[in-house]
Amino acid sequence: MRRHNYLLDGIVLSILILVVFLGFIRIKNGFQYSWNWGAIPRFFFRLDESGRIKTNILMQGFLTTVRLSFWSSGAALLIGTLMGILRTRKNLFPRLVGRTYIEIARNTPPLVLIFIFYFFIGNIITSSLGIDEWSRNLSGVGKTVLTIMFSKPERFPAFLSALFTLAVYEGAYVAEIVRGGLESVEAGQFEASYALGFSRFDKYRYIILPQVFRKVLPSLTGQAISTIKDSSIVSIISIRELTFQGMELMASTYLVFEIWITITIMYFILTISLSALASYLERRMIKY
Amino acid sequence: MSKPIIVVRNLNKTFPGPDNKIEISAVKDVNVEIFQGEVVVVRGPSGAGKSTFLRCLNGLENFDSGSVVIDNTPLDHHHKNRLEIRKEVGMVFQSFNLFPHMTVRKNISLAISRVRKKSKEECEITTLDLLEKVGITDKIDSYPSQLSGGQQQRVAIARALAMNPKIMLFDEATSALDPEMISEVLDVMKALAKEGMTMVVVTHEMGFAREAGTRLLFMDNGEIVEDREVRDFFENPIEDRSKAFLSKVL
Ligand SMILES: Nc1ncnc2c1ncn2[C@@H]1O[C@H](COP(=O)(O)OP(=O)(O)O)[C@@H](O)[C@H]1O
Ligand SMILES: [Mg+2]
Repeated sequence: MRRHNYLLDGIVLSILILVVFLGFIRIKNGFQYSWNWGAIPRFFFRLDESGRIKTNILMQGFLTTVRLSFWSSGAALLIGTLMGILRTRKNLFPRLVGRTYIEIARNTPPLVLIFIFYFFIGNIITSSLGIDEWSRNLSGVGKTVLTIMFSKPERFPAFLSALFTLAVYEGAYVAEIVRGGLESVEAGQFEASYALGFSRFDKYRYIILPQVFRKVLPSLTGQAISTIKDSSIVSIISIRELTFQGMELMASTYLVFEIWITITIMYFILTISLSALASYLERRMIKY
Repeated sequence: MSKPIIVVRNLNKTFPGPDNKIEISAVKDVNVEIFQGEVVVVRGPSGAGKSTFLRCLNGLENFDSGSVVIDNTPLDHHHKNRLEIRKEVGMVFQSFNLFPHMTVRKNISLAISRVRKKSKEECEITTLDLLEKVGITDKIDSYPSQLSGGQQQRVAIARALAMNPKIMLFDEATSALDPEMISEVLDVMKALAKEGMTMVVVTHEMGFAREAGTRLLFMDNGEIVEDREVRDFFENPIEDRSKAFLSKVL
């Protein structure tokens, strides 16, 4: 193995810091922008009348982004795995279904998807399935659970459309990742599962998919990170996630730079922790 | 003898050729009956159709025409029949095909619990029994990659036996092994034959055929060109092709 060159790293890092520093000075002098970082913390937490700490708008936006990314990544994984499997089946029909889904989802601008889902799910499905009413008529505890896990009851239908849009959009990429993984599993694994009499479900559940996920974990992590970043697009249908809250705040406070920088850092925190979690999982996975 | 446990009639299987024009006839009009307890050794040159023939017996390969009946169950398009046959027919592959992400224990017990729906205790007992049978109890918590080829193949045999099959198919089970490991696998197969397992074994190991085989099939160009009792074969290897073959391998 080659030895790590720390000196070179040090030089590169110093240059980087210098550039950023000089850039800051230029911005400060040339821009005539009066920074006001002191105003930012109270947009995360505030004290209410009785002196208790409450989350404020940026923190709420951050949590909405976390919830939205979590559920849509999960749903995308489910849809993508199913479609990825269909895509590799021998029969024409399942292959066609998988293919059609992937092509449509990947070749439609997500913004268009959002509106389709917002009006379709948001208005038609949620009202015809009674989700709208259901979320409004929940008991106190039910409402709290819904709020913690998903969103405020009155915003739940919109949250669902956002969730579906992201899941369908990202699911297409997951499907392609899973398909690649499936194609890399040796034919002998399928043959042995067949010969041993496993049901189709058990074959994928116990034998094939564990091998696939292990192989494609890095790509799936990348896709989950994309989901976090892409989730900002649902601000267009007034989902109060991080970007939406940031923009609202900018409009009322004019702290444009402080807020953009703050929410960028918050996205960073999310994506970096996700990467860290993934590499931890990768290291922890049994070696075979 | 009683009714045959494997009945193959007019079996045909073709593959599309390289340019999709000419078809390759992998199995041509094969007729054969195999009785309970027989150990049938299948030989023949590479590309003769031995693997394809074997894979037609458990439905791993869909044949074009003819019929395969295993223990009175026809191998047709009915899912129920196919499943029945897959449960009754164990298969051992040249490349082992163990599940790499599972321990030896899990490799063997998974089918017992998921397919045979046995309780945890029964799985445990059967798994240990089988490992004892193939002589590798000490590797129960190892992963396949930590085993030698011979050990992997013995686990693969144990795994196939876990289904408690009536018939075992072996497709060149020792061809991928280093020479010093061949005998440990053959020994397990011989023991199995001695217990009365019905076996169809594609192999060039004539020592195994002589010691454990009851019947010899010789395939060439997709056809069974010779079908004889083992004893008869070794006493009067009359046919020229077999003679040439024998002088090469013995
Ligand atoms: N999946 C396949 N696709 C196309 N041709 C095949 C396939 N499997 C086998 N064949 C062809 O069928 C013939 C018989 O092959 P096989 O049964 O593997 O022979 P053997 O096991 O006796 O060496 C060969 O000509 C081989 O090329
Ligand atoms: Mg072969």
